[in-house]
Amino acid sequence: MRRPKLIEVIFRNLVTKPSTVQYPREKTEVEPDSRGIQYADLSKCTGCSLCSIECPADAIKMTLIPQEYEVPKTNPRRLFPLINYGKCVYCYRCVKICPVNAYIVTNKYDIASSTRYTSENLSLATLKKVVSS
Amino acid sequence: MGITKVVEIPVVTTEVPIGPQHPALHEPIMLKVYADGEEVVKVEVNTGYNHRGIEKLCEKNTFYRDIFIVSRVCGICNAVHANCYVRALEQILDVTPNRRAKFLRVLSMELERIHSHMLINAVMAEIVGFETLFMQIMLDRERVMKAKEILTGNRVSADYMMVSGVRRDIDEVKRDKIKEILLKLKSKIEYYKKVFEEDETLVKRLVDVGRVKYEDATSHSFVGPLARASGVRIDSRASDKYDAYDEIPFNVITRTEGDSWARMMVRWDEILESIEMGIYILNNLPSDGNPVPDERRLPRRFPPGEAYTRVEAQRGELTYYVMSDGKTQNPYRVKIRTPSFNNIVNSAFMYVKHTLADVPVILTSIDPCISCMERVTLIDLEKGVRQRIPLKQLSSGGRK
Repeated sequence: MRRPKLIEVIFRNLVTKPSTVQYPREKTEVEPDSRGIQYADLSKCTGCSLCSIECPADAIKMTLIPQEYEVPKTNPRRLFPLINYGKCVYCYRCVKICPVNAYIVTNKYDIASSTRYTSENLSLATLKKVVSS
Repeated sequence: MGITKVVEIPVVTTEVPIGPQHPALHEPIMLKVYADGEEVVKVEVNTGYNHRGIEKLCEKNTFYRDIFIVSRVCGICNAVHANCYVRALEQILDVTPNRRAKFLRVLSMELERIHSHMLINAVMAEIVGFETLFMQIMLDRERVMKAKEILTGNRVSADYMMVSGVRRDIDEVKRDKIKEILLKLKSKIEYYKKVFEEDETLVKRLVDVGRVKYEDATSHSFVGPLARASGVRIDSRASDKYDAYDEIPFNVITRTEGDSWARMMVRWDEILESIEMGIYILNNLPSDGNPVPDERRLPRRFPPGEAYTRVEAQRGELTYYVMSDGKTQNPYRVKIRTPSFNNIVNSAFMYVKHTLADVPVILTSIDPCISCMERVTLIDLEKGVRQRIPLKQLSSGGRK
């Protein structure tokens, strides 16, 4: 029986650098349009709750926007979609179903955290705070 | 004088429980192996450790939410599950996607077939103790995962299928990237195939282990590479010609040996066939319109009706039955029958007369996917009756 030349590959691997990506120290490369975390742009969001209804993982909860933020008139109920990234399955159904294209998509994938990670800060950062006079 | 007492005299055998959590198995299945010394005399296949109630969950959710739920039945064959379900919805709605969408669907499913077959071949190398080969194959599998990420937006969970189309299109740049990956991969696969053909360790552990004859494969309702390795020409891509399989040329790979080695070789040949199909799709991608439907404009109400669809998943024929009563936005019934169900519950005879060390090899050669197949008991909520469907009836797939 003829032996295949796997031995060559093994010796070549001894002198080349490891293929494993040392993850937390070295970032894994992802495509620019790969599906990472997404959040609503509240200057566009109308608080219609469609994304919350359609979410297959029930990860989106419509939440009241705090009083200190200026909310556009198109959102009379002052609601915004709060995404729990621990529950989200990143299917982007919310992004595709949104009637006003309010979702901002990113390719950020490293979301492991010791606290509950939601879209609250990201979404509220798209609004201006009320200037107290 | 009649018999008053029956005394069972135990045969001198050792009972070895393998699983459900076992370092040599990658799936939660329990094989109760009765061995006489090293030789296996009987195997009981116990399943049911991973039941999640997905069919019931589908009935409680809307048709569109279910597309993403059925994708999670199994991680490694998510695109085929979604495709089968989406085609059932398309049959109920009576809509057809355009040709470009069909081609892209086939591309995503073939990429999935490539990485699934590479995974199980790598696992087989690991099971027989050839870990270097495992590492090498898994390293090259990453290239396919990258191609899938370029096409669908995620390495594993594609979420690519949608009623009347797909969820994202590809441009020239992406097309060239995927083509380059497939061309590079081809030489690697040919090399690994040669290793499986010629390496002494692999050949000694795989050849003549778990042999399934043609008659056994048909009488036990085996599907997929397991049946094709025994010479049964069963492939729903060829017989149904769903999506774009009627336009893309491909061969159905069969072998006659029927042993573990033949099953792995069928998988290598299918990878090569899938690569050819992928390159053909990328070279001949039709441009007859936008393959991405606007999900906001898709019909919300489903007419009453039922649909029964099948696809050739990586492990064999996968079928979906979807029923709509026309009253609610939820399906009335979703029934999933996965290929692993046929292949696993009927596999007990394959282990007999082999040694204990061959048990993981035979199980791996079947390519089990336990998370796919766990659904057995029927419960009638109105009458409060639990009805057990015998495995014999379920696994026969309706055949008598």
